[in-house]
Amino acid sequence: MAQIILTFVTRIKPDKVEELRNLLDNEIAKHLLDNPLLPFPSLTRLHFASLVVTEDKTYGDYLVFENNFDGPLNDYLDELYRHAAVGLHRIYSCCVDYPATSASDRARTLAYLRQHIVRPNAYHIGNLGRSVERTKREDGLRDRVEAFLDGVVRQKSNDASVGGVRHKVQGFTRAFPALAWAAQAEPRQTQMERFIPRLKIGIAAVIALVLLPILIPLLIFWVLVLRYKEKRDPSPASFDINEHVGNLVEREDRTRVVQNHMTSITLVKPGSFRRVTLWSLLWLVNLIARTSDKGELSGIPSIHFAHWSMIDKGRRLLFVSNFDGSWENYLDDFIDKASTGLTGIWSNTVGFPRARWLVLDGARDGSLFKANARDKQIYTNVWYSAYPSLTVQTIDNSSAIREQMFASLDEAATREWVWRF
Amino acid sequence: MAELKPEDMKDIQGFVMSGYAHLTCVSYTLLRVDDMAAARRWLENLTNEVTTSEGKQELSCLNVALTHHGLKQLGLAKDALDSFSRPFIEGMSTSHRSRILGDADANEPANWDWGSNDGAKAVDVLLLLFGKDEQTIADLMKDQSAKFTQNGISELLTLAAGRQPDSHEHFGFADGMGQPAIEGTFQTRDAATRNVIKAGEILLSYVNDYGKPANSPMVSLASDKNGLLPLVIEGTTEDPSTRRDLGRNGTYVVFRQLRQHPAKFYHYLDEATRKANGELDPEASAWLAAKMVGRWPDGAPLVLSPDGGNPALGTADDFGFRDTDARGFKCPIGSHIRRSNPRDSIGPDGPTAQITANRHRILRRGRSYGHRPADRRIDDGVDRGLHFLCLNADIERQFEFVQQTWVNNPVFGGLNGEVDPLIGNIKKADPNEDPNKCDAIFTVPADPLRTRVHKLERFVTVKGGAYFFLPSMSALRYLASL
Repeated sequence: MAQIILTFVTRIKPDKVEELRNLLDNEIAKHLLDNPLLPFPSLTRLHFASLVVTEDKTYGDYLVFENNFDGPLNDYLDELYRHAAVGLHRIYSCCVDYPATSASDRARTLAYLRQHIVRPNAYHIGNLGRSVERTKREDGLRDRVEAFLDGVVRQKSNDASVGGVRHKVQGFTRAFPALAWAAQAEPRQTQMERFIPRLKIGIAAVIALVLLPILIPLLIFWVLVLRYKEKRDPSPASFDINEHVGNLVEREDRTRVVQNHMTSITLVKPGSFRRVTLWSLLWLVNLIARTSDKGELSGIPSIHFAHWSMIDKGRRLLFVSNFDGSWENYLDDFIDKASTGLTGIWSNTVGFPRARWLVLDGARDGSLFKANARDKQIYTNVWYSAYPSLTVQTIDNSSAIREQMFASLDEAATREWVWRF
Repeated sequence: MAELKPEDMKDIQGFVMSGYAHLTCVSYTLLRVDDMAAARRWLENLTNEVTTSEGKQELSCLNVALTHHGLKQLGLAKDALDSFSRPFIEGMSTSHRSRILGDADANEPANWDWGSNDGAKAVDVLLLLFGKDEQTIADLMKDQSAKFTQNGISELLTLAAGRQPDSHEHFGFADGMGQPAIEGTFQTRDAATRNVIKAGEILLSYVNDYGKPANSPMVSLASDKNGLLPLVIEGTTEDPSTRRDLGRNGTYVVFRQLRQHPAKFYHYLDEATRKANGELDPEASAWLAAKMVGRWPDGAPLVLSPDGGNPALGTADDFGFRDTDARGFKCPIGSHIRRSNPRDSIGPDGPTAQITANRHRILRRGRSYGHRPADRRIDDGVDRGLHFLCLNADIERQFEFVQQTWVNNPVFGGLNGEVDPLIGNIKKADPNEDPNKCDAIFTVPADPLRTRVHKLERFVTVKGGAYFFLPSMSALRYLASL
């Protein structure tokens, strides 16, 4: 079943912000893997989760609870409630309109969560179709084979061909009944899952073609308004962010720099023009992103789960990302590999370096772009990863090793396969 | 926007343009400022002796750099102090920076000899003295130290370093090649295009590789009573009517004292390559060392010379990894030179990858210290290693990035759970972690099958370190005038 990305966005009672923050920071984050409130490791469908308290004078204080899990939704909610009823009750008792009066009120708790689901406008999944269970199993298989191959190297056998190595690995895997699952590789996506996004693009293209006589003047008008607005956007000021960054980095690089998390909320520039532009752009990005199965987001190979959601009736943009490597590396990738798409999205928000024609300049001003990104970033109170030592690329590699373990490969493919170790 | 002009050489300290390779003896003196007014006087006099980037000094050179605390001790105003970059303000030894740099366990700042935030080990000023021989240095030092106490300066520690006759470091490998060259200077004369970087990658306020002026610390116009500092250049968010540029023609210096353990290194290599019958295999041992470094002892890169050394390629630096060695069969992906500069290997295509890698170049200015061991395989207990110094305009994007995203990254270039075999944060196995992910391995890719060596040890430990600001001559005069 496909992975699902969603957040529960709830308003925090003004007098409960501190209590909630204390609960998240001290009772949950400090005992991430063994707290009774949100026992993450028991949630077998959960890839990544985060909880963030965000305060804002205009929009009020929100709790953003991010969930990236193996669907379907009902099964995940079941599991979540089964293991975390007490935690959910304590957390959401700090939030506005929460109706349950005790943790055992399953129906009301779940109904409340469902009411506050925010589905992303656009999202990206790095390791498509790999469930938590599959990810962990394939990683374990690779580790066992690697250890086995260390022994093969030590024996310095004469049969030093890729075919010989592959044969030995197959024999090793077959010899263990506990590894029998490796032989039945399930596809990452079903035919339907592959077909539907492509069909949608086709339909959209046809509709666009039909509407071309209307779309062209509309586009020209849009470009003129855009340029008019871009020239009048105030220049972003310098940012006074030293203290803020000091807080942010306290949470970073905890898993030996293999994975990190980032939450940000930016204000969409005032007026409906920018709101509509951003909404349309995210719709388009999402349409195209659904056909990507290479694990990359605009050439960036290091994002597990990321999504954009327009909240507060489109007046603010929430961005959440679970990525590999350091923050600096992540932002550099944005600048060097994805500055066009990224500028297209964020140039509609306040504080972003000045853009031209929606997608030019903008993020290419490296230090100003990073300063703005830090300025808008929010401290992630709780962050959980089901497999903190794995990257998108190592997961893909382990999947390929398993998927091709018993497939019939020609010589070139055999060589590629052995070199995966 | 500002371009580097010949007359700027008079304003740039000589250490930026040259490592003074012809001056074989060095002394790094770490100082503390005790008396603000006296120290400014001292700095004013010292400035007249500072070597600039103009011309070549045959006998000796002198340069000076300051920590954030040092600038504060000289009385630099708060708004100016706050305008420096974050890592420089924080210093090298906060807990987050330790995570970035991999300074854990034995390398924790608490175990350092100098430079940690611990008050007794903090440094204010770094005085760099270079001389053509020991006597010259001794005379210079005597001359300088006489002025310390009468000027409210105390000497924390003096670190001596020299240059080995063949410029090999203590593991026996040629060192110091593979440098970037600053565009618009003589450094580009012999440099390959791939190694040329914009002035703003090293010098503050100049245009960097993003086409923007490098962030630079600023002071208030009012504080620059004698008009010593340059105007704010165009293209920044600073207000030219109220600010003056303190950083232009200056740079940041990263200093780390890295103690090397040659006996441990060679013992490990010997044991890891023992033959099946238990005999030592000197050839395999030397091979493994070269695989870890990425160059042969004579400097020849494994990519160009995979089967053995070649003195003619000793300083070769115009090569990539992508087209000739994508899998690392010649130069392992996890080798020291590939991690510290992956060149064109990491990215969607060669040119993009090279551009990305060049965002993280540093100008290395290190020197070996401690005499060379009689036998590298015998531990004589002597403290020896490398005084690693490097220059960069953006510590986070350059030096720290190299440490964090390349050197200490367990999944660098598709690897699975290993760090730089020489300078990486090699950890002892932790029973709470998955042993498959933290067994301190190093992978030597090969066709058909890779070899992994296990249970690496720390062959290098950090003994001290700090971030310094190397001001321009104008900025030194300004600081003395406060």
